[in-house]
Amino acid sequence: MASVELQNITKRYKDLTVLDRISLTVAEGETLVLFGPSGAGKTVLLRLICGVVEPEDGRVLIGDEDMTDVEAEDRGVGMAFQNFALFPHMSAFDNIASPLEARKQTRGALKDGVEAVAKLLRIDHVLSHAPRELSNGQKQRTALARALVGSPPILLLDDPLRNVDAKLRFEMRLELPRLLADRNATVIYVTQDYKEAMALGDRIAVMSAGQIEQLGTPAEIYLKPANIEIARLFGDPTINLLDVTVRTGVHGFFAEISGVPLNLPGDVKVRDGQACVLGFRPETVSFVEAGDGHAIPVEIEAETPLNEKTVTLATTANGREILISRPAGTPGPSSGTAHIAIAPDKALLFDRESGERVGASLLSTVAEGEAA
Amino acid sequence: MEHTSTLEKVLRASALTAVVIFFMFPIFWIILMSFQTNETILRVPPSMIFEPTLSNYRGIITGQLETNAATLEINFMRNLWNSVFLSVSSVAVALALGVPAAYAFARHKFRGSEDIAFTLLSFRFAPPLLVLLPLTLYFQQIGLADTYFGLVWVYQLICLPLILWIVRGYFEDISPDIEYAYRIAGHSWFATFRKIALPLAGPGIAAAGLLAFIFAWNNFIFALVLASADKQPVTVGALAFITASGIQYGQIAAGIVLSVAPTLALALYAQRYLVEGLSLGAVKG
Amino acid sequence: MDTALSLKNVDKFYGPIGHGVHAVRNVSMDVKKGEIVALLGSSGCGKTSTLRMIAGFEEVSAGSISIAEQEIHRRPPAKRNVAMAFEGYSLYPPLTVRENIAFALKSAKLEPSVVAAKVTEIARMLEIEDILDRYPSSISGGQQQRTSLGRALIRDAALHLLDEPMGQLEPQLRALLRGRIKHFIKERGLTAILVTHDQTEANALSDRIAVMEDGILQQFDTPEIIKDRPENLFTGTFVGEPPMNVFNASVRDQDGRVHLDFGSGLSLDYPHDAFSGSVRDSIVDRGNIVVGIRPYAVHRTKDQGVDAKVIVNQWLGDQSHIAAEFAGATLVLVEHDRADVRPGDAIKVDLNPENLHIFDPDSGDAIAHGAELVS
Repeated sequence: MASVELQNITKRYKDLTVLDRISLTVAEGETLVLFGPSGAGKTVLLRLICGVVEPEDGRVLIGDEDMTDVEAEDRGVGMAFQNFALFPHMSAFDNIASPLEARKQTRGALKDGVEAVAKLLRIDHVLSHAPRELSNGQKQRTALARALVGSPPILLLDDPLRNVDAKLRFEMRLELPRLLADRNATVIYVTQDYKEAMALGDRIAVMSAGQIEQLGTPAEIYLKPANIEIARLFGDPTINLLDVTVRTGVHGFFAEISGVPLNLPGDVKVRDGQACVLGFRPETVSFVEAGDGHAIPVEIEAETPLNEKTVTLATTANGREILISRPAGTPGPSSGTAHIAIAPDKALLFDRESGERVGASLLSTVAEGEAA
Repeated sequence: MEHTSTLEKVLRASALTAVVIFFMFPIFWIILMSFQTNETILRVPPSMIFEPTLSNYRGIITGQLETNAATLEINFMRNLWNSVFLSVSSVAVALALGVPAAYAFARHKFRGSEDIAFTLLSFRFAPPLLVLLPLTLYFQQIGLADTYFGLVWVYQLICLPLILWIVRGYFEDISPDIEYAYRIAGHSWFATFRKIALPLAGPGIAAAGLLAFIFAWNNFIFALVLASADKQPVTVGALAFITASGIQYGQIAAGIVLSVAPTLALALYAQRYLVEGLSLGAVKG
Repeated sequence: MDTALSLKNVDKFYGPIGHGVHAVRNVSMDVKKGEIVALLGSSGCGKTSTLRMIAGFEEVSAGSISIAEQEIHRRPPAKRNVAMAFEGYSLYPPLTVRENIAFALKSAKLEPSVVAAKVTEIARMLEIEDILDRYPSSISGGQQQRTSLGRALIRDAALHLLDEPMGQLEPQLRALLRGRIKHFIKERGLTAILVTHDQTEANALSDRIAVMEDGILQQFDTPEIIKDRPENLFTGTFVGEPPMNVFNASVRDQDGRVHLDFGSGLSLDYPHDAFSGSVRDSIVDRGNIVVGIRPYAVHRTKDQGVDAKVIVNQWLGDQSHIAAEFAGATLVLVEHDRADVRPGDAIKVDLNPENLHIFDPDSGDAIAHGAELVS
């Protein structure tokens, strides 16, 4: 086990800055997920750590040792690639054996090592096959086995589940934590799938345009995203975002949605008339009875089931679209007019101009009369 | 649309046949000629019916060129050997130099790398005669004229750019990730070149080598100017069939068949390497 | 004029009939007017061949296809009155996004102002208003796909064919666009056939799903029926996210209780009346069965139930996915709240007989769903 520390890393390709003064510490034994849209710089960061790409500026430390100028073969890291990068002219066995071969191990030790890891990944029956004879899932496991076989203290996984089908991706997502925990390695995992990020990461670094936008536990990022962009990247269906204008009422600040006021808590740092965006996740919206004073009337447009949830697209009287999700099988309207309520303690408020989140995630609905 | 009718199938088949006949006929005719005497070849009108003879081949192999006037000594077999030696050595040298260079150009983009690669290619654009005249003078001064070494060197003008540019493309097609994976596994860059890049570019190297071999084999002008009789390849040697007493068509045809045979055999043998997929399905696209 | 599309005993061979690849095997299905139907299956299952036969890009080897009750399988594609969105988008590179979408209306000979209004409406729905004057090469894959969808949906056709219509869409837009497109199709009463390998898309958009595998139509039903009453093990395990838990079990009827023996020393006991008489007879008769239970139908309980040990608990924000060691295999549970269990915790799970799907281990055919025997 060893920690990984990046100090002020900058990487440019010609005039394009792909990484801009990144500093990051990954603790021993931690699984850190680098998450972000394509082009955010995740893969380049991973390649800097393994040593196949050199930074223009900054230092890479592995286990307190400066590795910035050390060649890739001497850094002692294991890596799995998104496109698997198997050696096409070698059997699965030779592919997996390649890290052990470089260490000049005896034939017997090499065979034992390969077979042990192959068994763990359930590919021991295809070791003699060439990569082209393997199914996609087997290729992916072979690539993973090659990264794991030498028990490297640092494991870099570059979106390893990207190119396998949904079912396999799900299975591997459940299987990976156990596999990684047994290896005792420090893991840096790159993904574009927020579910993978939340499921696998002890911490998640959300990257965008060469910078780390937010670093935190899955819960911190999901429940308290730093800005609108991050809020949009996590969650399926995507968070609802409505433009609102903050007003001052007798109970402090409030915002209106379709004429229904929502009270903002006293500690939000906003001013009267500030242009904001109200964010609330589809699962925090519920259908309510019409008579309720908090109820927002909506017209239901379509119902689209999603992963054991029923997702409803509805529009408010002034044409704003709202997604509502509820566990499949729970009752709810599927067409016509309905009324919804937003869970007050789970909504988020963002400044419209900067996109940054303002104040705590505490909003409460009040009856119309009280607000005025 | 795949709604093909019988008429379409017939039309397609006959069009294909016409194309095949058009391209294969000269070769077919040459093979027929090689089994005929000059008299039957020059008959008017030409006919496909004749009594086959092996005299053309016998003459070439024994070195006796029989014309109407006299029997001349020719050295066609020596020419054939020269062709083989010159082509094989040239391609070997070009591969030894060109493949590492191609790898460097493919993997390491440095300032001016494109310019250097293009300069090498531009050797192919220059008219050979333009290069030859000054070269002949230099070669005579430094004693390289009429040596195998000198010829092989000049043949690099043909082979090296070809190999460099074709093989470079094949190296560029190998996903860098495959090489990175081998490096990260703990192998040096040289081991990566030998164990990963070379085998994966194998089909490309074979194709480029074959093409270079054919170009070297077919070269005429360099050997004509720079080599004397005992070092000339078949292309130059064939001139001997144009004799004072006429052109020996039958023996030219036999000579052509003999000189085409090695390249043809090589091309047929190498074909399976040429069609073999490069990345062999290791990288998911 | 109720049936928009009808396939009768359609076969597709690549290569000689009887010897070539049998890509589509005797597929028959009827699609009602105004219905959205998804052809769902993994690659090579025959769904794309089927779509291409409907569109007219492939010849039908045997059988017939009718659109609006007219046999059309011998007509060229242009004479079938179908609109199609291609998987590879197939946008015209020299035309702008606006022209690409409007191009589909060319043969309709509409007033320019009508065309402009229709393009604007579609573009607004698909969030491509701001790129209408860009060229396909300068927009992202997701935007190209939306343009291609727009070009297909703007047409007034008897049938809209959508080949993997949403695979490249930006994840943040997906849920919203699914809702809007479904609303658009339903509002106009269009009939749409979509081909997809993504069951999320099929479930979200379609009224009925045709599950295909090996060129055979495995099941053609509403998403609810496919989920609750899969006709065979393939459909049961293929459709459902996360996939159905499946275990082999042997059945014994002893001491007035039904025992399902999962091996590894684990056996579930059910009272005699937990299963209806016909189901009980059928499974006891067989001895060996395959038991399936959907992850969301497995419930954690406080006291009663079977023991399992948590392997992982992954919270995804709106759901918790838990994998637990159970009968020497892995049992997956889904909960809609954040579950407070950690790896290594012992839990008790309840496998209610009502939620069990029972399959024949040899043929894979469904025997029973809960108490209901499959006839």
